[in-house]
Amino acid sequence: MNRAALLWRVASFAVAAGFIALWQLIANLKLVSPVFLPGPDRAWASLVRGFSSGDLWSKLAGTLEHMAYGWLAASIAGIAIGAIIGSSRTMRTYVAPSLEFLRPLPVSAIIPVAIAMLGLTQAMALFVIAFGAIWPIMLATVHGFGAVEPRLYEVARSLQMSRLAVIFKIALPSASPDILAGMRLSLTVALILSVVCEILAGLDGLGHWVLLSARAFRSADLFAGVILLGITGYVTSVAMSLAEHKLLAWQAAQR
Amino acid sequence: MASAAKRLEAVPGIPAPQIAFDGVTLVLGGKTIIENLSLGVRPGEFLCIVGASGCGKTTALRLAAGLYQPTSGKVNFDGQPMRAPRREIAIVFQDYGKALLPWRTAAGNVSLALEAGGMPSAERPARIEELLRTVGLPGHAGKYPSEMSGGMQQRLQIARCLAQEPKTLLMDEPFGALDAMTRQGLQDEVLSLVAASGATVIFVTHDLDEAIYLGDRVIGLLPHPGRIGIELSVNLPRPRDQLSTREHPEFLRLRRQLFDFVKATEQ
Ligand SMILES: Nc1ncnc2c1ncn2[C@@H]1O[C@H](COP(=O)(O)OP(=O)(O)OP(=O)(O)O)[C@@H](O)[C@H]1O
Ligand SMILES: [Mg+2]
Repeated sequence: MNRAALLWRVASFAVAAGFIALWQLIANLKLVSPVFLPGPDRAWASLVRGFSSGDLWSKLAGTLEHMAYGWLAASIAGIAIGAIIGSSRTMRTYVAPSLEFLRPLPVSAIIPVAIAMLGLTQAMALFVIAFGAIWPIMLATVHGFGAVEPRLYEVARSLQMSRLAVIFKIALPSASPDILAGMRLSLTVALILSVVCEILAGLDGLGHWVLLSARAFRSADLFAGVILLGITGYVTSVAMSLAEHKLLAWQAAQR
Repeated sequence: MASAAKRLEAVPGIPAPQIAFDGVTLVLGGKTIIENLSLGVRPGEFLCIVGASGCGKTTALRLAAGLYQPTSGKVNFDGQPMRAPRREIAIVFQDYGKALLPWRTAAGNVSLALEAGGMPSAERPARIEELLRTVGLPGHAGKYPSEMSGGMQQRLQIARCLAQEPKTLLMDEPFGALDAMTRQGLQDEVLSLVAASGATVIFVTHDLDEAIYLGDRVIGLLPHPGRIGIELSVNLPRPRDQLSTREHPEFLRLRRQLFDFVKATEQ
């Protein structure tokens, strides 16, 4: 890491520390009632308590599980459907516009439909999460497959490569930067929808924990849950960035 | 058309053409790009095609590759109609940057052709090393194309084409984007590679000197629509030499003839 990057890193930590100090100050001065706003000290104590009793572990595991299954299902389906649409010019012309129309549809509008069909179940949660998370992945895949250098398809033709080989050796790797970027966007969507579904369906997870804490006016527990959700979002997105960096090492060489 | 077809028929003493254009016309987007082109390329022959920009050189090469199908007439390979590209015909594209897989290393790019040819993975590394050495890229196996110079990338593309073990090598202005020194070096390397493999070559270039230096025969195309305007046999001794060949009286005579042709077509 060079000097400038190090300086930025230090500055960002300083800002974060500043926010926490401000939060503590507001709590200590009781600018907001402690019933609603615990200080960072109480939130931290609640976090430690939750983990040592094992309660938070199981809630965290629940949320991670919902998120992971929904995201993986969305990735597999999104890449497969996106590849089919993206690899044919006709499909791109005729199907892609309707996708663009469907995409801005708020997923929250789908939730009542999913509940009506599947009830307040894990299956409903999985469906909603996957449905919400599929869009960025699918659209990125369509775009990536459509943007493959035509020259490479000619190389493939002159090598008489099979259709399958063309997809796996040319189209997929060529589209991989787009696909991975889509998967990173979807990760956040999957986390948000996991929490929403847990709240709505009372499924075991951090969303449920946050809801129950709020109802019981246990503000410290509530904040502990929220902080943990923030950390989950941050860690998964960093992990995804690292994976991208590793998988796309060839792109770093290109710059 | 009948007379053209006749010219391609077996003549005693002359081997049957490996690639034969028989009255080929190609219409693209309502425009006749190539008209009634008849041409035979003997096995092992080095044929150069020159002509002004837009006269249809690339299009002719793509017909020979099977990437285009003629609107009328026939393109035959070893006496069989060309219906699709085949592994025995390798193409070296001018835009090497687009024809290589950026996510594969030099070795990986060569491997692509070996994989397509069904070579077992255990045998590939040795063959890849051999091919990279042949084109003058030993020790660069682990580099990505983006880490290589233009000349190296073009060598890599040639290595991948050689991995196809082609009977015919089609080259579309392969050195057009390279500097003069790199260019001359690669010309000589291509000549020795081709001499070693015995492949038939169709080589498209803008550079008249390059065409005469490399070829057994040079064809000049006329534009709108593309057709043959001049055909020259190059009877210069081989192996060719950058200095003495280019000073050879025959070289100068052919050069003059070709320049006059190009000049006439430009008017
Ligand atoms: N797919 C296509 N549809 C319509 N016209 C085309 C198509 N491809 C090429 N042409 C036209 O055919 C003519 C010949 O093109 P071609 O690329 O074969 O020329 P060229 O001799 O290779 O030129 P250059 O020296 O610039 O590479 C050009 O006028 C070009 O505009
Ligand atoms: Mg051209």
